[in-house]
Amino acid sequence: MKKIQINTQNFTLHPSGAIYWEDQKMLLIADVHLGKVVHFRKYGAPVPATAAYQNFEKLTEVTNHFEPDTVCFLGDLFHSKLNEEWNDFEKWVEYCKAKVILISGNHDIIPNYLYEDLGVNVFDELLLDGFYLTHHPTELEEMFNFSGHIHPGIRMKGVGRQFLRLPCFYKTENQLILPAFGNFTGKHILTPSEKDEVYAIVEGEVFCVSKN
Amino acid sequence: MKQSELISIAEDWFQSKEWKSFPFQKQTWKAFLEGKHGLLNAPTGSGKTYALWIPIVLQYLKENPDYKTKHRKGIKAIWITPLRALSVEIQQAAQRFADDLGTGMTIGIRTGDTSQSDRAKQKRQMPDLLITTPESLMLLLASKGYDKTFKTLTAIVVDEWHELLGSKRGVQMELALSRLKTVSPKLRIWGISATIGNLEEAQDVLLGMDPEFRKNSVLIKAKQKSKIEVRSIIPKKMETFPWRGHLGIHLLEEIVPIIKASKTTIIFTNTRGQCEIWFQKLLEKHPEFAGELAMHHGSIAKDTRLWVEQAIRNESLLAVVATSSLDLGVDFAPVETVIQIGGPKGVAKFLQRAGRSNHRPGEASVIYFLPTHALELLEASALKRAVKEEVVEDRTPYLLSFDVLIQYLVTLAVSEGFFATEIFPEIKNTFCFQGITEEQWNWCLNFITLGSQSLQAYDEYKKVEVTPEGLFKVESRRIAMMHRLSIGTIVSDSMMLVKYVSGGFIGTIEEWFISKMKPGDTFVFAGRTLELVRLRQMQAQVRKSNKRTRNIVSFMGGRLPLSSQMSKILREEMQSEADHKRNTPELKALSHIFDRQERESIVPGENEFLIETFKTREGYHSIFYPFEGRFVHEAMSSLLAYRISLLSPITFSLAYNDYGFELLSDQFLDIQTILDNNLFSEEYLYDDLQKSLNATELARRKFRDIAVISGMVFQGYPNKFIKTKHLQSNSQLLFDVFRDYEPNNLLYLQAYRETFEHQLEEGRLRLALERINKQEIIWKQCQKATPFSFPIITDRLREKLSSEKLADRIKRMTLLLEK
Repeated sequence: MKKIQINTQNFTLHPSGAIYWEDQKMLLIADVHLGKVVHFRKYGAPVPATAAYQNFEKLTEVTNHFEPDTVCFLGDLFHSKLNEEWNDFEKWVEYCKAKVILISGNHDIIPNYLYEDLGVNVFDELLLDGFYLTHHPTELEEMFNFSGHIHPGIRMKGVGRQFLRLPCFYKTENQLILPAFGNFTGKHILTPSEKDEVYAIVEGEVFCVSKN
Repeated sequence: MKQSELISIAEDWFQSKEWKSFPFQKQTWKAFLEGKHGLLNAPTGSGKTYALWIPIVLQYLKENPDYKTKHRKGIKAIWITPLRALSVEIQQAAQRFADDLGTGMTIGIRTGDTSQSDRAKQKRQMPDLLITTPESLMLLLASKGYDKTFKTLTAIVVDEWHELLGSKRGVQMELALSRLKTVSPKLRIWGISATIGNLEEAQDVLLGMDPEFRKNSVLIKAKQKSKIEVRSIIPKKMETFPWRGHLGIHLLEEIVPIIKASKTTIIFTNTRGQCEIWFQKLLEKHPEFAGELAMHHGSIAKDTRLWVEQAIRNESLLAVVATSSLDLGVDFAPVETVIQIGGPKGVAKFLQRAGRSNHRPGEASVIYFLPTHALELLEASALKRAVKEEVVEDRTPYLLSFDVLIQYLVTLAVSEGFFATEIFPEIKNTFCFQGITEEQWNWCLNFITLGSQSLQAYDEYKKVEVTPEGLFKVESRRIAMMHRLSIGTIVSDSMMLVKYVSGGFIGTIEEWFISKMKPGDTFVFAGRTLELVRLRQMQAQVRKSNKRTRNIVSFMGGRLPLSSQMSKILREEMQSEADHKRNTPELKALSHIFDRQERESIVPGENEFLIETFKTREGYHSIFYPFEGRFVHEAMSSLLAYRISLLSPITFSLAYNDYGFELLSDQFLDIQTILDNNLFSEEYLYDDLQKSLNATELARRKFRDIAVISGMVFQGYPNKFIKTKHLQSNSQLLFDVFRDYEPNNLLYLQAYRETFEHQLEEGRLRLALERINKQEIIWKQCQKATPFSFPIITDRLREKLSSEKLADRIKRMTLLLEK
């Protein structure tokens, strides 16, 4: 885990890809893509069904660890239309002690009222204490932005022609992009500039790999 | 009609053309008319089409004596060709005979290029002979009523069987044949193959395991020994000839007089990228060739390819720069000269290319060999010997390719549906699946119906359903359509169409190449300079550009490994060098490189195994020289790296070529520890190799085509844009998911098995290790890179292996930043 400060507020970067916002007691999670495994299976691509359960285990683990007041999903919570995994999600929301909210992403096509029925409020964007929460990365001058969507990753290079690709938290001056939380998602490799801060996730730990 | 009468019909026809039939043709006619199956071993341009098409027609005459007045409908024969390009040639030859005899028989082509309306016409009324590819035959099995359509078949001919044999398309063929044997009771199965080392096995694979088919079959060999003369192009100034590289452009001027001196020349390159570059450079340096120089490779639009082929026949071209797309089939009489650029890596391929030139009887075919770097001259010297000694390679057939089986089962479920009890014996009778167990079979059935091995609560998996009667059937139209689209997918990188903005198709290129470009960027493709205008739905829209650019389109893959036969000869050539014999012109030309190698290290002799180590800015290099060919080096490097990594945490980057391999690390590697710990041991070879496979990415890469073939990754189709974004995943992701959640999945395991059997060639590796253990190991600590090491250490295609913790490694690494 890695603690960082943004605009005098405290945040913890968790190796699961979640961020805990201490001052708000809020857990930020991006791109879980629930339902993706089942969606694939429904269309005849036999992804192991057990892969679907791990997302919930991971969600439970990280919420138990931080015991937040609110869990805020930064979009692409559900990959597809309604399917069996919704039932598991329902159970998880019921089990979860925190309030759950969703910032809608491009994959979130499940009607809002179904979320509202579970007590999950859905927003297009959220302004909170001078921070701007969205699904798509949005560069604003006056506010710091938290987002997902990209599934950021980076490449590392070492002597002896060594290369590594790792998922990461990607922070520029005014925004932070979260890695994808879901286990059946990919990553998109970014090439940072020198001013950017990069926190890579390596074997259950978070490392700052940039100079900043 | 009696057999002799039928045969005299054919003989008369030959006479009317002022041709004479060859003994192998007559033999084949007789065998066919006697109802036999078989394999015909005959080279390209030998009249093999008439060897098999004629008896098919004669059989029809025999069964229909009133053939001149009444044409009996229904398909008589299928002719399978691995390359679409060959179908026109076969059609013309076949039609000529059918027409001259007044049979009224029709010949149709059905490939990926066939229009929708032609397909529909064929469906209503099949031609008498259908020329098609393995994929298109599969698609026919995926359409309703195929069993009735094929009932009248009397023959299936699989042309260029040696090309299919060592590939999964060969397995596709085996499965299709297993079905046709049942639905077409009068079927004769024939294959045509060029000379390979395992012809008998090729025949067995074609006919399957049923003793009846095997007993009733023949192997006919055409006796046609053509002489081949190999001439190497030796650079005049060896001192400036590069140590590495693969293009060979610096010798461009050497081939100009050869081109000018002969009627038509084919210049064979090894990759499409190399082909593009040679074409471009030839025109740049010799504008006088404009209009008389053409290019031919698999990614160029079909119309252009056909035009080039026709132009060769018309003798309107001086030279064609080509890839393996011109290796097979089509017979080009006017071709006088063949030039091979770079090592062809296999004797068979080289012979086939040489055979494209000069068909005048009695005269030798001449092939020029142009080396792309110094050490390739050694290969030239080895090739000459191989040709002289008539060395031929084997093609290894695939075994238990569950991905192809799963694709096939869904194919049957899409059309008529199938009963497991009926299909299992058919499958078991194929060569590929002779060893399938009942358990594996049930696994496959579960896989297509449940998507796993046990029924899970509320699972929505949907593909093949089972009716109460036990019929396996695909009910969903969407799944049926997706399956049909994926049958033809030749596994390759995502391909994009290149089209002019104004319309007009130029060809296909790999997506990774175009994805590096922005609109306005220019690149050279199909001999034209093009500007990218926009990307739209798997299409790159371009316009012509007058800008000069160095950005020539390139393609991944296509690196061919040296066959074991070639590597043995190569090793022997090298070892004769250690004794300073220098008895061929190629070896003489290489003198100064050998001298330099000896100054800085040694040229290893027959009983010596050379290891070189040196340090550069890149890290610590350790180079090993088994001279066993790329595949063995690939296996041996990961085996050795794995064994070293057990001694202490270390990270390697591995590179290999046909001569040797490199272990590169950021830590010093003491070769003495390798020797002291006996790391070249043959003991526990299988185990260690298996574990090293887990540590590298080899199996992961093999998994890619398995995932596509078995329908786990839907790629869409190049020219049909379908909204499938939400169903796109990549095989890498799937590989990880299987590793984590379903490691006993047969398809996941198949990736390892295939890497083992087809890539790493455990058997060859064992022999190589045995040899090394008998040799004297010579460790040279060099000051800098040696001539032998140079091509290896500069190779960028690398494998990695590490026993260090990632967290430790990244501390010594730096982030790749924007430049």
